[in-house]
Amino acid sequence: MFPELRRDVAFPVVGTLVLFALLVGGGLLYSALQDGAASDKLVTSMFIDAIMVIGIQIYIGNTGVFSFGHVGFGAIAGYTFALFAIAPAAKATRIAEAPFGLADVSTGPVTATVIAVGVTLVIAVIVGIGLARSGARSGAVAATVITLALLFVAHEVARSWVAVTGGDRAGLTFGIGDTLGSRMPIYLVLLATILVARLFAQSRSGRFAHAAREDDLAARAMGINPTVQQTVALLVSVVVVAVAASLRVYEVGSILPGLFFFNYTLLTLVMLVVGGRNSVSGALLGVAVITAARELARRLGSEGYEAFGVGLDGVPLDWIFREGLPRVVLGLAMVGFMIWRPNGLIDDWELDGWLRNRLRRADPRPTTRLEAAPKTRTELVATDVIVDFGGFRALDGADMVAASDEIVGLIGPNGAGKTTLVNVMTGMVEPSTGKVRLGEKDLTRAPSHEIARAGLVRTFQNLRLFSSLTVRENVEISWLVASRHRPASAVPGIDEIVDAAGLWEHRDRRASELDYGNSRRLELARAAALGPTFLLLDEPTSGMSDEESLEMITQVRHMASVVGAGVLVIDHDLNFITGICDRIYCLDQGAVIASGTPDEVQADAQVRAAYLGSMGPT
Amino acid sequence: MTELIQNVIDGLGRGSIYALLALGVAVIFGVMHLLNFAHGELITVSGYAAYAAFSSGWSWFLVAPLIIVVSIVSALLIERVAFSRVRGASDFTLVLTSFGIHFLVSAVFVMYVGARVKTFSEPGWIADTYSIGPIAVEVFDTVVIAVTIVTLLATVAILQRTMFGLALRAAAEDFDTARLMGVNSDRVIRGAFALSGALAGIAGIFWLMRAGNTAPSAGIDPMLKGVLAALIGGLGSMRGAVLGGLALGVAEVVLRSQLPGEAAALTEGVVFALIALLFIFRPQGLISVAHAERV
Repeated sequence: MFPELRRDVAFPVVGTLVLFALLVGGGLLYSALQDGAASDKLVTSMFIDAIMVIGIQIYIGNTGVFSFGHVGFGAIAGYTFALFAIAPAAKATRIAEAPFGLADVSTGPVTATVIAVGVTLVIAVIVGIGLARSGARSGAVAATVITLALLFVAHEVARSWVAVTGGDRAGLTFGIGDTLGSRMPIYLVLLATILVARLFAQSRSGRFAHAAREDDLAARAMGINPTVQQTVALLVSVVVVAVAASLRVYEVGSILPGLFFFNYTLLTLVMLVVGGRNSVSGALLGVAVITAARELARRLGSEGYEAFGVGLDGVPLDWIFREGLPRVVLGLAMVGFMIWRPNGLIDDWELDGWLRNRLRRADPRPTTRLEAAPKTRTELVATDVIVDFGGFRALDGADMVAASDEIVGLIGPNGAGKTTLVNVMTGMVEPSTGKVRLGEKDLTRAPSHEIARAGLVRTFQNLRLFSSLTVRENVEISWLVASRHRPASAVPGIDEIVDAAGLWEHRDRRASELDYGNSRRLELARAAALGPTFLLLDEPTSGMSDEESLEMITQVRHMASVVGAGVLVIDHDLNFITGICDRIYCLDQGAVIASGTPDEVQADAQVRAAYLGSMGPT
Repeated sequence: MTELIQNVIDGLGRGSIYALLALGVAVIFGVMHLLNFAHGELITVSGYAAYAAFSSGWSWFLVAPLIIVVSIVSALLIERVAFSRVRGASDFTLVLTSFGIHFLVSAVFVMYVGARVKTFSEPGWIADTYSIGPIAVEVFDTVVIAVTIVTLLATVAILQRTMFGLALRAAAEDFDTARLMGVNSDRVIRGAFALSGALAGIAGIFWLMRAGNTAPSAGIDPMLKGVLAALIGGLGSMRGAVLGGLALGVAEVVLRSQLPGEAAALTEGVVFALIALLFIFRPQGLISVAHAERV
């Protein structure tokens, strides 16, 4: 579950304790300095907001899928909790007629929370299936709409189902003295929540979710099924949100439909994005900053511009410091951060990651030189593949066989269907007819991630790295997929692969900071770390200089040999192709027009007519 | 049967207003890929402008054009201050920006005008009806439908006959290519906001006539109707938005009259849930603008 215990468990535990201490310490310090019940209440609600915001962060931060709906889950949990936790006597005045005997149940707060979590999880599973079906990924409108619908439907039901919820006016209220009396449960939940959020982000599932957040398609091509990771993240986050909502209702002492609607959605989302939605530290920072800013604005607004003993007498600022300022501050924070700092104050900086980097001794560079892995001969066969895009036939009965102990090239003029053939083989384009198989395994129309797990791994013509992850993390992602789904394959260690790709010096840099050549090398290394039977390389030298292309020949050969993979490579660079390939297929207008050794293909008249033109030897 | 026809006619009146709002949402989505949760704020702002004008003794004849002007100016202002700075940003940023503006505008009105509802007089003829056989038709609905038809024809003329319209349609189809072909992106986006402002203004006149009041949170409802109708119509498609608006209007009236007792209050929730289901089961069929990604 956790790739490296020290990095992924020990440090997050320490980081959790520090974050918890900072937030709670800061809150307690504030209420000690500002005595009075109001400041106590403020600090308590900050702790509960923190739990709620981290709950939302677990989903949005890890998957990158936007959700309006988490506060809607909160509404469901809040009402369920209230229905079960409030004593029958207190319910009798408002919902005496409630169906299913709900007016008479009373379970105590702990059981009520458990029931609330259960009920909310059931709804979350349904929503999760919906999101999965709609193909939710970061940036998809569908996710926004579905989650917004959840928020609205929950709200409407709360307003209209008066017999159970007490509706818009009455709501549900705890009896006097029955509400949350001590902060201890909040502390325990907060601590547990921070820990769960940090551990999830470091876990294998969390890392796979990050990969899909960075690039959905590339994640699929590396054998990750984003839907699974997103659903896991959703369920974990909904559990936290349900507990937070129960605590909130228990602390406030009553629930009305408005308690979990637009205003709370705005508040929690602002908290999330101000600190940085991609990290737990950021979420907590946002909670603290926004709570402080809101309180400051409230006091400045209601007490004129004298608050905390600071007076600005004589300055005509009445037009700013008036009631209603906190809401304006929230709105401004949301718009301002989106315009100037959409990733928040600290982006994906994480306290325990930073601690670890400070305390880490220099990593030992791997000393073992990687040996060539033994190759078994497996055939990759495409038979009679036809692909139609609307009226255009991109592939017209293409046939191809490549064995895993050779390097096969695929050439052809622009539009010949080379990339389409690779897309068909990797499940990204559906063929009209035709078959693709690897060894005995039929891969026709299989989903991309299953094809990758079966051992057919591709790179992309237009670089699709997990750009905000580091070089090492990029390689680690596919290495983790391999360790789980390709146990039989002999994959060297992550560091060995990074080193073999010539990226050792850059291992801790973000993929987005790499230059072009190194990005290409990383694509290759990431694909190789999956221990594939076949590497499908889509124009690995595009945009490279002649010198770099030649170097790439060595690189591709080396990588393929250390993981024992065959290679199918598309390229335009003839020096590269003839330099690296044992055999070449030439495609034209969607069909194979020639195949053979580089010399044979280059000498073929049809090929020269279609592709080489005047470039061939004369 | 009579009831159904009655419902449909009432629904078309309502739906016409939604269609105008939805068209504005669709136009913006077309050029910026922005689902504009701030669209309803144009009506909040013009509502307060109308309130101020009525307070100084203006009549509806003067207020109506004022509403359109204020709506256009507000749309351009919001574009200038906020949306122009997040152009091309991730969808996440775009959605939250518009969500933030939605709140900011209402918060500013709470702060400076107060949270209380401000009422003004509806026009005298608002409740008048005339009958065709057994069916009672509101004069108001008739006016709304007629004005909507004229507005849509004018919009179609702008889109089909002017250079701006051509540029806008090209940008909605494929913004990057349109830019390469020499479409001035600044001008198209500003024009799109002006157009959506004008459409929201016309819708706003009727909306405010019907409501007879405004409040800081008055923008939520028209925003939802516009967004929902645009979603039904497929977001990027302008024809779809208009049809979506009409469908939403009719669906609301029919659902409200057909759903039993308590559930009738759930109309909006039901519509929303249905749209979510559409997105779940037909994500491709619904979003006509989501072109397949090239790999």
